[in-house]
Amino acid sequence: MAALLTTYSSDYSCDMVETHPDTAADEAAWIRRAQRADALAFEKLYRLHVDKVYGLCLRMTGNVSEAEDCTQDAFIQAWHKLTKFRGDSAFSTWLHRVAVNAVLGRMRKAKRERERVDAAAELAAPARAASDDGELRDLAAAIERLPEGARHVFVLHAVYGYSHDEAGDMLGIATGTSKAQLHRARKLLMAELQPQGFTE
Amino acid sequence: MTDINDDKLLQAAAQLDREISPQRDLWPGIAQAMHAPQRAGWAPMFAQAAAVVLLVGASSAITYVAVREPQPQLAQIAPALVFERASFGSNHELGDEFVDARNALVAAMNVELEKLLPTTRADVEANLELIQEAIYEINQALEQEPDNTLLQQRLLSAYREELTLLRRVSGLTRDIMMRNDI
Repeated sequence: MAALLTTYSSDYSCDMVETHPDTAADEAAWIRRAQRADALAFEKLYRLHVDKVYGLCLRMTGNVSEAEDCTQDAFIQAWHKLTKFRGDSAFSTWLHRVAVNAVLGRMRKAKRERERVDAAAELAAPARAASDDGELRDLAAAIERLPEGARHVFVLHAVYGYSHDEAGDMLGIATGTSKAQLHRARKLLMAELQPQGFTE
Repeated sequence: MTDINDDKLLQAAAQLDREISPQRDLWPGIAQAMHAPQRAGWAPMFAQAAAVVLLVGASSAITYVAVREPQPQLAQIAPALVFERASFGSNHELGDEFVDARNALVAAMNVELEKLLPTTRADVEANLELIQEAIYEINQALEQEPDNTLLQQRLLSAYREELTLLRRVSGLTRDIMMRNDI
């Protein structure tokens, strides 16, 4: 899909739009315009939120290519579902939910977990995670190697701060399962990171 | 593992970057998918594709009959080889014209399959079953996400594989459908 989609345009940079709203009202206005099928407004929303969505997708998939596809899927789904956004939550939170669904959908259907490349080094690349120091780099790499279920819960709960109720709701699992997966993730991470001196 | 270590782990996790810039601009692909026609012109193309497959099946049968050797008693076709009604999820069901053509093709294929060698027939059936399982699963997914362009693309790909399998029988090579057909 990515290969197909990236052939669309080679001069997108010419159409780059201003991305930073002066106020929350600007974002709300863009949302309203996008809900009326204003693609330019939706592009502004994309520019504003793509790093948040891509970051989540990359942390959840541990794979650059998958994360790119999931990000595209998420924004395409968001465009089609935008009229359903009522502002009950922040737009970024709503987008996160859409992104999680995109990740789960792709991973469930494609079953490409086994094909994931070791993206630990990529995760730690300065261009994408400049603030990650050595210890955080090790942690990011270890998270990427977690089993899928444990990784998803750990990313949503520990990295993005969602409660177990929220994470469970987003992942379609029970709150108790979310807690169990977090416990599993922490155990696995500590087992991997302690020999590297993470806790010293 | 101690609580202190756990706390440090969670504190470190909370410091990880939540926002990461993709290495390339993903907007062009999104924009393309946003504006791509959802079903423009696909029904006639599928009908044409079905007609081609029907022709392929018939010509293959004729070829086979012309060169076949005496065969033992014919075995019955596996009941599992049943073509599902094709669709693109709840919002994109295929047209009656295509369905009729496909049903006619299925009937013709069932007749011809009975005449094949058991091993050949088993191979054909196994391959078709695999493809049809994929079509079924993708359709199930499309029921949940009818506007998912990736699923639509994969469904089209599965249909294409089905047609390719049949085309190989008679050596046809040209593609019939493209992504824009849906």
